[in-house]
Amino acid sequence: MEVIKVQDLTKDYGENRGIFDISFSVNKGETFGFVGTNGSGKTTTIRHIMGFLKPQKGEVSVLGKDAWKDSCEIKKYVEYVPGEIAFPDLRDGTSFLKAQAELLNLKDMSYANYLIEQLQLDPSANLKRMSKGMKQKTAIVAALMADKDILILDEPTTGLDPLMRETFLKLILDEKKKGKTILMSSQMFDELEITCDRVALIYNGRIIDIADINQLKNLPYRSYKVEFKTPEDYIKFKKLKFEIVRDQEKYNQVTIKVYDKEINRLFNILQNYNLKFISEVKYNLEKYFKEVLTKVHEKGG
Amino acid sequence: MYFSKALFKQSVKANWIKWVAVTVSTCVMLAIVIIVLGNLGINDIRDSLKNVFVQADQESYLKENAVDSYDLYLMTLSNYNDTQSSAMFVGIATGSYDNKVEEFKTANEGREPSDEEKQALIEQTALELKMYVQQPGISGSLPEGITPDIIYTLVKDLLNVYIQDTTVTGTDLFDKYFLNQIYNLSYQEVYNQEIEKGTLEEEAVTIAQTKASSSKTIAEDAINKYKEDKTSAGVGFAFNVENYKSVAMHYVNEMMYQNVYQLQIESGVTEEEANQYAVSVKVISNTAISTYQLWLNEGKTAEEAKAEATKSISDQIPEKVADALSELGNMDIYGLIIGSIFYKIAGLLLPMVFVIMTANGLIAGQVDSGSMAYVLSTPTKRRTVTATQMTYLLVALLAMFALLTVVSVIAVWVVGGNAFAINFGEILLLNLGAFLTTFAIAGYCFMCSAIFNRTKYSMSIGGGLTIFSLVCTILGLFGSEVVPSAMRISQMNFFNYLSVITLFDTTSILNGSLSYLWKFGILLAIGIVTFIIGVFRFDKKDLPL
Repeated sequence: MEVIKVQDLTKDYGENRGIFDISFSVNKGETFGFVGTNGSGKTTTIRHIMGFLKPQKGEVSVLGKDAWKDSCEIKKYVEYVPGEIAFPDLRDGTSFLKAQAELLNLKDMSYANYLIEQLQLDPSANLKRMSKGMKQKTAIVAALMADKDILILDEPTTGLDPLMRETFLKLILDEKKKGKTILMSSQMFDELEITCDRVALIYNGRIIDIADINQLKNLPYRSYKVEFKTPEDYIKFKKLKFEIVRDQEKYNQVTIKVYDKEINRLFNILQNYNLKFISEVKYNLEKYFKEVLTKVHEKGG
Repeated sequence: MYFSKALFKQSVKANWIKWVAVTVSTCVMLAIVIIVLGNLGINDIRDSLKNVFVQADQESYLKENAVDSYDLYLMTLSNYNDTQSSAMFVGIATGSYDNKVEEFKTANEGREPSDEEKQALIEQTALELKMYVQQPGISGSLPEGITPDIIYTLVKDLLNVYIQDTTVTGTDLFDKYFLNQIYNLSYQEVYNQEIEKGTLEEEAVTIAQTKASSSKTIAEDAINKYKEDKTSAGVGFAFNVENYKSVAMHYVNEMMYQNVYQLQIESGVTEEEANQYAVSVKVISNTAISTYQLWLNEGKTAEEAKAEATKSISDQIPEKVADALSELGNMDIYGLIIGSIFYKIAGLLLPMVFVIMTANGLIAGQVDSGSMAYVLSTPTKRRTVTATQMTYLLVALLAMFALLTVVSVIAVWVVGGNAFAINFGEILLLNLGAFLTTFAIAGYCFMCSAIFNRTKYSMSIGGGLTIFSLVCTILGLFGSEVVPSAMRISQMNFFNYLSVITLFDTTSILNGSLSYLWKFGILLAIGIVTFIIGVFRFDKKDLPL
């Protein structure tokens, strides 16, 4: 079931800025990631889903309801961590969370307290004097405390220290386990790789590719980098029918793509060569998207 | 219902310090202004200035009266002397008329002639006498200056007086006739003057009657004096107007003294005070007449001499200065300071700053910072947000001006209630006007806040125009009617056309005209329309949250 559906969404701000023909959908229980550089259009897309912006073209719906027209209705099911953290003009974290609970009509604060404990947040701190990380934590608690079905986060980990990021990602994974539908954007490939089921790459306002993390993790092949001690061995090896991904003659080095079923054959062959080293080149989301982008650039000229 | 209690509470919490600061300082300012003004009696200077002008006007009036009486006295003497020669016709005329009446009675079986028939008989008598003196032998012996035509008119007028009461005959009849003539002339002159001035018919008649009566009295006194002198001098009496100038002056001075003394006693002052005041009037009268005589001797015409003699203080200083001074005397300082300076400028400034800051902070500020995202990520409609924030702004302003009203009413009551130059009704209207002005500005600032996503635009367009209006009102003050013309630069009034605050017509409120009402209506309409535009615009726009 498609919880979030974006169809041909376009918002043209002129001078090639904005988003163009964005289409994707997020299924129930799925975690969907957005990755892209600054200004690529992640936030603009999310603002459309939140009903803050009106589409120029295309449609955005959440749970089958129009994100612009039924914005208020949708908010009953959506919780949101905005990209820019700016709190209302209130004294401290506690009064902010209380006010937010009132707006949400939330009486039971037990889950909020649980979250505060998990994130080691001191909500009694003055809102204006909070560090970026503390603000981020407060914003996350404010969003998650109502425990709604859909969670939308715009670059939620910026400003968090590595340890805190760890805790936060665990929290997201917990939410995911509960069956929430999650949409989050980030500039960090690794955290999306950990949390998401699918990740879309946005570049210059367009979705270039949507990667399935499970597929990426379970590829039928791996890449290995092999360096030979002598150029003779290097030349000899190149004549074998392995798929060479990268060739560095200077170092007598090749990177080859080997399907899992061929791995034994490779090692048998290598026994006869004088190797300097062999290492597996980890394939990940970042690599994958870099390849995609390279292809796009080649096509573009 | 587009209202969120939680959001309202948030707005109260975010703005209460500002509200308290602005309300308290404005209330204190207002209380000080009213109490200080009420106790200083700044109108004292104004009143004394005003008195100078009132007295100057009275003085001028007294002098005019004195000169007129003096003239009348002399004129009566001289005219009476001139007409003495024609008095001899009185006997002939009445005798001839009486005969005609007798003849009529005989012809009509003893019936008295009717009014019309009497007129016919008078006409007949006058004609007969005219014809008689036209005879060659008699016309030569007529006194100087008397022609048959004059005799005709004289006889007619005389007989008309005679038929009112036939027991008065001879010299008495002539005197009666003479005084009648003076009364009629004076009446006609004053009546025409008053009508020309635009006085109501009825009033003009009363004024003319009074004036004519007093003229008649003066003339009567003059005639008596003449007769007295003539009797005591006997046959050698030779009238010369020059001899009577000092008599006339003395007479007028005494008359003025008597009249004023009488009036003063009637008004309840002691004899001594009445005497003192009457003497000062006598002095004024004396000065006026002496000056008049002097100018006449210098060869001026009667009119010019009179103008010189009756000049008051305000006539003696240059016209522009006199105007400025008399306007200063009439200026309403309370109205200026409380109405135009406090309610339209000083007292509006802080509420305006509150409105500019709060209106911006309620919407645009939250959109610009992004904190609006927290409200809008809960099931809260945009319209609920705008309606709630609008409600907050209105409640805050209502509370502010309610307090201001209470403080101003108490302050006015403390300094003497209705005895204060500005009464309770006016103070209430001033507060209402200040509220409506702030309401219009609040609507406009709120609209800007709802339209713009950036604080800098909302503040500069909303707040900028508001402060511009206030500055224009300050500049426009120097060109407005409330500032005395000596200090006024009328071109500066142009600024008043640039300011919405001009619709708060404090002058109209304080002078009791009703034109402030429709201006209140416009202020209210501006507020309502801009608030509505703000609410609807916010529903439809893109939010960068």
